[in-house]
Amino acid sequence: MNKNTNRRDLLASAGMSLAGLLAAINLKDQRLLANPAKPDLIGKSFNNSEKPSPKTAKAKAMISLWMQGGPSQIDMFDPKEELMKRDGETFPGDIKYDNAAQASSKIMAPPWKFRAHGECGMEMSELVPNMGSIADDITLIRSMHTGVNNHGQSIRAMNSGTTAAMHPVLGSWLTYGLGGQTSSLPPYMALIDPGQLPVDGVGNWHNGYLPSIYQGTVIRPTEPRILNLTPPIRLEGSPQKRLLSYLQELNQSDLQRKPGEFDYQARIDMYELAARMQTAAVEAMDLSGETQETKMLYGIDRPETKDFGTRCLIARRMIERGVRFVQVFTQNQFWDHHGSILKSLPNACKKVDQPSAALVTDLKRRGLLEETIVHWGGEMGRLPVIQNDTGSQNVGRDHNTYGFSQWVAGGGFKGGYIHGATDEFGHKAVEDIVNHYDYHHTLFHLFGLDPEALYFEHNGQKRKLIETDQSKIITKLLA
Amino acid sequence: MKNFCLLACFVTFLASAVQLSAAGSVSFEKDVRPILKAHCFHCHGEEEELGGGLDLRLKRLMLSGGDSGPALIESQPDQSLLVEYLTSGLMPPEDVAVRPSQQEITTIINWIANGAVIEGVEPATIDRGFYITEKERQFWSFKPVFRPSLPTVSNPQLAANSIDLFLLARLDEVELSYSSQASRETLIRRASLDLTGLPPDPQAVQHFVNNTDPAAYENLIDQLLGSPQYGERWGRHWLDAAGYADSEGQADADVERPWAYFYRDYVVKSFNQGKPYDQFVQEQLAGDELMGGQFADMNAEQVEQLTGTGYLRMVADGTGSGAGHDEGRNAVVSDTLKMVTTSLTGLTVGCAQCHNHRYDPISQKDYYRIRAIFEPAMNWKSWKAPQNRQVSLYTNTDRETKASTEAQIKEIEAERVKKQQEYIDATFNKEIAKLPEDVQQSVRDAHAVAEKERSEEQKALIKKYPSTVVTPGNLYLFDRPASDDLKTFTQRQTELREELKPEEFLRALSEPAAEPPVTYVFSRGNFDSPLDPVEPGELSVLSGLATVEIPTNEESRSTTGRRLAFAELLTSGEHPLVARVMVNRIWSHHFGTGIVDTPGDFGFLGGRPTHPELLDWLAHEFVQSGWNIKHIHRLIMTSTAYQQTSTRNDQGNEVDRQKRLLWSMPVRRMESEAVRDSILAVSGMLDQQMAGKAVPVMADRTGQWVIGKENLNAGRPGPVIDMQGQEYRRSLYVQVRRSRPLAVLEPFDLPELAPNCTKRPSSTVSTQSLELLNSDFVTAQARFFAVRLSKLSQDIETQVSVAWRLAFSKEITDEKKAAAIEFVTQMQALLTKQYEEKQLNDDPVIDSVAVFCQALISSNQFLYIE
Repeated sequence: MNKNTNRRDLLASAGMSLAGLLAAINLKDQRLLANPAKPDLIGKSFNNSEKPSPKTAKAKAMISLWMQGGPSQIDMFDPKEELMKRDGETFPGDIKYDNAAQASSKIMAPPWKFRAHGECGMEMSELVPNMGSIADDITLIRSMHTGVNNHGQSIRAMNSGTTAAMHPVLGSWLTYGLGGQTSSLPPYMALIDPGQLPVDGVGNWHNGYLPSIYQGTVIRPTEPRILNLTPPIRLEGSPQKRLLSYLQELNQSDLQRKPGEFDYQARIDMYELAARMQTAAVEAMDLSGETQETKMLYGIDRPETKDFGTRCLIARRMIERGVRFVQVFTQNQFWDHHGSILKSLPNACKKVDQPSAALVTDLKRRGLLEETIVHWGGEMGRLPVIQNDTGSQNVGRDHNTYGFSQWVAGGGFKGGYIHGATDEFGHKAVEDIVNHYDYHHTLFHLFGLDPEALYFEHNGQKRKLIETDQSKIITKLLA
Repeated sequence: MKNFCLLACFVTFLASAVQLSAAGSVSFEKDVRPILKAHCFHCHGEEEELGGGLDLRLKRLMLSGGDSGPALIESQPDQSLLVEYLTSGLMPPEDVAVRPSQQEITTIINWIANGAVIEGVEPATIDRGFYITEKERQFWSFKPVFRPSLPTVSNPQLAANSIDLFLLARLDEVELSYSSQASRETLIRRASLDLTGLPPDPQAVQHFVNNTDPAAYENLIDQLLGSPQYGERWGRHWLDAAGYADSEGQADADVERPWAYFYRDYVVKSFNQGKPYDQFVQEQLAGDELMGGQFADMNAEQVEQLTGTGYLRMVADGTGSGAGHDEGRNAVVSDTLKMVTTSLTGLTVGCAQCHNHRYDPISQKDYYRIRAIFEPAMNWKSWKAPQNRQVSLYTNTDRETKASTEAQIKEIEAERVKKQQEYIDATFNKEIAKLPEDVQQSVRDAHAVAEKERSEEQKALIKKYPSTVVTPGNLYLFDRPASDDLKTFTQRQTELREELKPEEFLRALSEPAAEPPVTYVFSRGNFDSPLDPVEPGELSVLSGLATVEIPTNEESRSTTGRRLAFAELLTSGEHPLVARVMVNRIWSHHFGTGIVDTPGDFGFLGGRPTHPELLDWLAHEFVQSGWNIKHIHRLIMTSTAYQQTSTRNDQGNEVDRQKRLLWSMPVRRMESEAVRDSILAVSGMLDQQMAGKAVPVMADRTGQWVIGKENLNAGRPGPVIDMQGQEYRRSLYVQVRRSRPLAVLEPFDLPELAPNCTKRPSSTVSTQSLELLNSDFVTAQARFFAVRLSKLSQDIETQVSVAWRLAFSKEITDEKKAAAIEFVTQMQALLTKQYEEKQLNDDPVIDSVAVFCQALISSNQFLYIE
């Protein structure tokens, strides 16, 4: 990154908040210096009820379609004439490979045709025709950058703001800051794939050092999607209602015996949530009320799109019912096409292209897109050169975290807009680079949150999602 | 250039504003140096090479500056390069993710603006590299333990023992005092759950409540400390700190550790025996060295000592399942060091693996000195995978018995083969005799030729007379008595094999007698980039406190003696952390929070003791008592503080909401194991069998991890195998498979093994409520509970009264009893209707009581220790 840019941005923001800064020096700092920060949390109470909505908030909820492994921006989103011209020639610049043993410097042009979509003329390849159909609703960012070339670290950068493990993830921070908008469902849900868990496993929805109520609730990929959600048949209906009312009587009397015991109060709340979840979550995951047209829109009628389409539709239904953050995961290394890319990339696209586009279309026609951010992307993209140059059946592309694409829609993001650019080979981001810090800062801004103000005291330190004070809002992305 | 001017203007403005408003002073030692240490020293002072020729560790070195000139100009932050670089973000370099905050930079600006004052005199010389300031050496947890004199308090009559004096003195300061004493019922329930993890049975409660002997409470504690369930409960606490698991982790297969349980049982037994903590630590760190390192023919004591080293074999270890490479091996070593240092010394020494510790005075070299203590036994260059390092528990006698048995089996086999041939020959002859006489010889001849060499004619002949083909496999068709006789030989062999003691193994640590490896400092923690060799040794900041020397290679032993010396150093009684950390751990399990609330971090980022003198007094008392853990339990539990009621009052809430000062007894939610075990105890299903192999965990049809023997058929669950009561054993004995957290336990927080757990979270989430309302486990146990009650009486009033006693250890009040009877009666009506409608065959009478029982075990009063 360019140092001058950095400094300019820093000064701009520091200058603007100078008054605040001085006030802090006058009041807060002296006081803080006198008393070392207390890391203690015991006795504090945390809950998932809705926090006062920030006035500036454009977005109220978010669905992240998490494409783990590194979808090839070269073949899907980022056409380059230069690659077409120089297909098979030697790549002229430096490249960082993950797999040196299979590395080559031979340029590989995308074998798929690109064409312009929508009024905005956004170019995408024939692999993702359905995403093309929502071009006017999305912002395509072609200049993503994390700069850490491994899956684990880059996943964490994109999903939890830092490359270190077990840092609270984005969903945990959002629910910590905002709570849920419903008291009948957990505010943060992770919809996992029936295949293997993605790299980093449960770390992908882990609350890290935040209280565990901010952990994502896993929705299992097959029935029963939430365990213990249905009462035993013997107790269904009025017997269970009576059980709950008696149990709450007992709990209330315990609270009267031990007034001020936050945990006792919290458990009373949790029984109420659990009782509501029994109906609300079952209802939210029951797709029988959806029309045939909607199901077909998501591709639930076809085997290749059935699973992902179902989960995208559940995600919409959750958001509709007030869940704050939903992340839909692809399986382990779903997009990690080091080899056989000519066959496996089209297969991967067939699974997600239609459902992903359907989600945006469906949210829009229901008037939900305005307040809901949809994110489609993963932790990296791929290189413009061949990996494993041993025949067209085998060729693939290696990791690239220096320039990759993702798209976002709704919730205050601009539609029909392409942001940033990679170099002439689609390799490194060079224009309007978006790193994970700035991306997260922009998301927070749309939710009306200040990443500096949303902190959690842990071991005497104020920990935040963005642990640098040099992140910025990317105003060009905003509608 | 334009940018720079802007910057200068900004800083000037800021600095003058600061000067105008500067109130209290900023301390270099306390406020500024930690910031510089965290963000700058790594390149500017502590590495061999000085970044930009600049050393920031002393003020005078900042004044003399580096290649770009002075870093600091007193009282002029706007002229100081240090401020410019930090403010502009030029430093730390852009690739460093952890950045100084605006607040930290402001602190530095403040300090300079106020004249950059330092306390005391800076050292005249300072070595390149790590430098520990006097202030750091004086940090509370590094100072020797000192037995403080007892404070005087305003209400000495409230003190049952010395612990109370320290607590009351602190309460006096904030004008609080103790709450009243808890009821007898509460006390016995609290003490039982604390010491055994199980509620007291109603007879014990009644006996205690009516016992007027002044020593009744002390006797109760002694009795609980003497029960075998004590070791199960407190052993489990220790297993958290040790990172106990019955599987290797790392790979997806998550390979099982079939023998880890010996270490679990060793821990339980050690607590039950009241093994002195110094011995317990020594055995775990160096049991192999203590027992002489000869594994062929161990006696019981040697086995016990060696089993202790299982402690050092508990972290995740993928080196036998695909991660046998250098990285995987080094990960095991570094995780083990993390586990050891956090569990025993409460220091995050692991943070100094790649660079000097950012906050604590622990250098990278220190880290590798500690590593050198363990490397002879955990040599990454000469590594054995877990399956290849098991130690057989066979003694020489066992081996001899086995050899002679094997020989016997062989003899029987020879006899059997001989006998078999005789039977075959006899049958063959009989069958030949049945043939027409003229062919008898030619058939006999055909059989005499090896099968491959037979002529077509001979083959045809044999085909024609198939009854002459007599084999070991078909002999029984010809001669049943003969085959039965042969079976007796096999039977005898099987019996002999079964008589043999099965060969079992220890998952233990041992050190080869070979020349010890050289340990190097790894540049940035990377094993590919070794720097200087280091000798084994204690952390610099603690050196000189305990006087045990750690040898490089103790000639008198087959091993290096490094771990043994380290263990002796830790347990010498002079080490400032070991006793403090352990008494704090004991305290935290009695009161919910430690005197230091970060039991695994006594460093700069950890919590500070709420009662530093009390902690020292306890640590000293612990060592004096011969490291007697049960003595500390007794002291704590006989204090007035422990016997208070847990009811809050406004005054206390206002001053100390978290009850850190113990003006009232904290209320604690039971850990997941105690929740499950207590449910089993009240339902009457608990199987108290101790020790032995882990009870296995498998996936049920919904994918939940439940207790059971895996019985997969093409990847799908096959028929359920009866667990014969094993499924009702205490949670301690359920397999800790890293990838398979038991569904019943998971919602109530399990220890997260990263690589060990020094403090468990206690969450309150809806999945706990869903489990208590709907899970098979809870509804089944509630029904067992009801069946238990129905065996006692058919009378609802008696049933609810007994249930109340069992679940809450107290008598039900009349008002509660009326509500309970009403509930059960109504429930019976509701269920009768429900069962008719849904055509269910269950019994609404028992089930209505079961629902009542379910309400009791789901309620706060059951789940919390008050």
